[in-house]
Amino acid sequence: MESLGITYRVIGPELVLTVTGVLVMLLEAFSPGKKVRDGILAAAGVVLAGVAALALWDEGPVMAFSQMVIADGLRVFFTLVIVLGTLLTILVSWSFLDEERIPPGEYFALLLFGTVGMTLLVASNDLMMLFLALETITIATYVLAGYRREDLRSTESALKYFLLGAFSSAFLLYGIVLIYGATRTTNLAEMARIMSGPLEEAEIVLLMAGVAMLLIGFGFKVTTVPFHVWTPDVYEGAPTPVTAFLSTAPKAAGFAAFLRVFSLTFAPLGIESAADQLASHWVSAVTAMSILSMTFGNFVAIVQTNIKRMLAYSSIAHAGYVLIGVLARDWAAVAFYMLVYTLMNLGGFAIVALWARRGDKWVLIADYAGLGFRQPLLSFPLAIFLVSLAGFPGTAGFVAKFWLFKSAWGAGFQELVLIGVLNTVVSVYYYLYVVIVMFFREPKEEVPRIPLSRAFMTTMVVALVGVFYLGLLPTRVFAFLNAAQNLLAIGAR
Amino acid sequence: MTTIPISWYLAVAAALFTIGAVTVFVKRNAIVMLLGIEVMLNAANLTAVTFSSYFRELGGQILVFFVMVVAAAEAAVGLAIIVLLFRHRETLNVDEAQLLKL
Repeated sequence: MESLGITYRVIGPELVLTVTGVLVMLLEAFSPGKKVRDGILAAAGVVLAGVAALALWDEGPVMAFSQMVIADGLRVFFTLVIVLGTLLTILVSWSFLDEERIPPGEYFALLLFGTVGMTLLVASNDLMMLFLALETITIATYVLAGYRREDLRSTESALKYFLLGAFSSAFLLYGIVLIYGATRTTNLAEMARIMSGPLEEAEIVLLMAGVAMLLIGFGFKVTTVPFHVWTPDVYEGAPTPVTAFLSTAPKAAGFAAFLRVFSLTFAPLGIESAADQLASHWVSAVTAMSILSMTFGNFVAIVQTNIKRMLAYSSIAHAGYVLIGVLARDWAAVAFYMLVYTLMNLGGFAIVALWARRGDKWVLIADYAGLGFRQPLLSFPLAIFLVSLAGFPGTAGFVAKFWLFKSAWGAGFQELVLIGVLNTVVSVYYYLYVVIVMFFREPKEEVPRIPLSRAFMTTMVVALVGVFYLGLLPTRVFAFLNAAQNLLAIGAR
Repeated sequence: MTTIPISWYLAVAAALFTIGAVTVFVKRNAIVMLLGIEVMLNAANLTAVTFSSYFRELGGQILVFFVMVVAAAEAAVGLAIIVLLFRHRETLNVDEAQLLKL
């Protein structure tokens, strides 16, 4: 499929998602309120996008649209993670849409448009494209965060998300422009080529300032300390299915872009070059961000009473772990971690969303008292997801952490790995605390039985199978990722 | 006629960016904060155009068009959220939006 020299195939997933999103929106305009139709259409579009991404596999690394978009192993794998995240989010939102009487069409359309932004972000090989993709994500998610309009908490969270998100975007943009000033290009491949040689002193100054700004912008988007302030508030206030979405798919996309820009483009080459001059600085900055995120996230999570806030701080801590992988420049380990994180976090939030019930009311950890044996279909999966988040052997969380730490150790980040492992130990406390409350605390009032929908059961099956499959038999996914890594190697530089 | 050196343009843009950032930090009115963010975006635009004309390369100017569109979209969504909050609260002060502890 090629006309006017444009290779549409390369943006196949994005085309599918955009068309589906517009279709869902139009259908809603002409015959509103058909949740099943819109939902199935959206889900079909997302699955088709995943297929389109897989179809890029055989192409090998190709660039298109004036090298603005790239199709390589990193993109294919992260697109699949995002697709999985969106699919599970659609399932998690299923009963929530009925309960809150939310018009389903716009909700699904926004979800799809956000996903378009994410897959484009993963595919972007140009800082201009990267900025546009990031904005597509954030503008869609601002609206989603404030979706429960009559609830003040939701509106407040949308406002905070918007103000801080737009603020960080401005930093990101200024960073992009300064880097453009230093290298005369916004294209990442071209930039890597220019930075493999020496630059003038003034250009180096511009480059440093630009990269620092870029780091601030990215820091906001992937929720790392000290740019995390919005996270707990937004995660708490946003409708729970939206929180589930925010904490997984956009984060995976953000880390993919982080990897592409920092680990691949700004990587040190071991020779006298601008890239090496720069690398020593960004590596120490990212190291600091990683340590702060892990430590702060885990320790503050301990004192939380609201489970959504607790999971928000846990999400900050996990961002810290993932940054170790970014430093080790092992994108496959990061990709695997994000896949696992998406599965366990979405699974956990699915239960939190269900238990919160109408109006997001039962969200305190104390509200989970007595859930244990009264509704085992809720409590046991939640316990498994929490244990996996903590990284217990046998679950996917362990394998992901192990791989990440192992490759960081090999890359010479031993201190960082030690801090990461110690932090993991701390995190066990607050994850298991929820489990203890569920099983060993008596409830103050009668625990209601919550009917479990088919959509919820599907989410559980997918997430649980994923957590155990990746925890016990991860070799096939490893092989897939290795193949993807080779695919990248041909394309890079 | 002497031409203005490029550093002056960059300095003006940097000053604008700082003014915008300080506005966001200091002001508590949501709309004024949005204004500050717009000033920051335009400072970035000015820098992009400066480099673009200095390099005789069009990339920077194209970026500016996209940024303008993004800024407009962002303002539309942002103002909608601010209006929504105003309906709940009858105030634009972000410090009073404290149901979620910071």
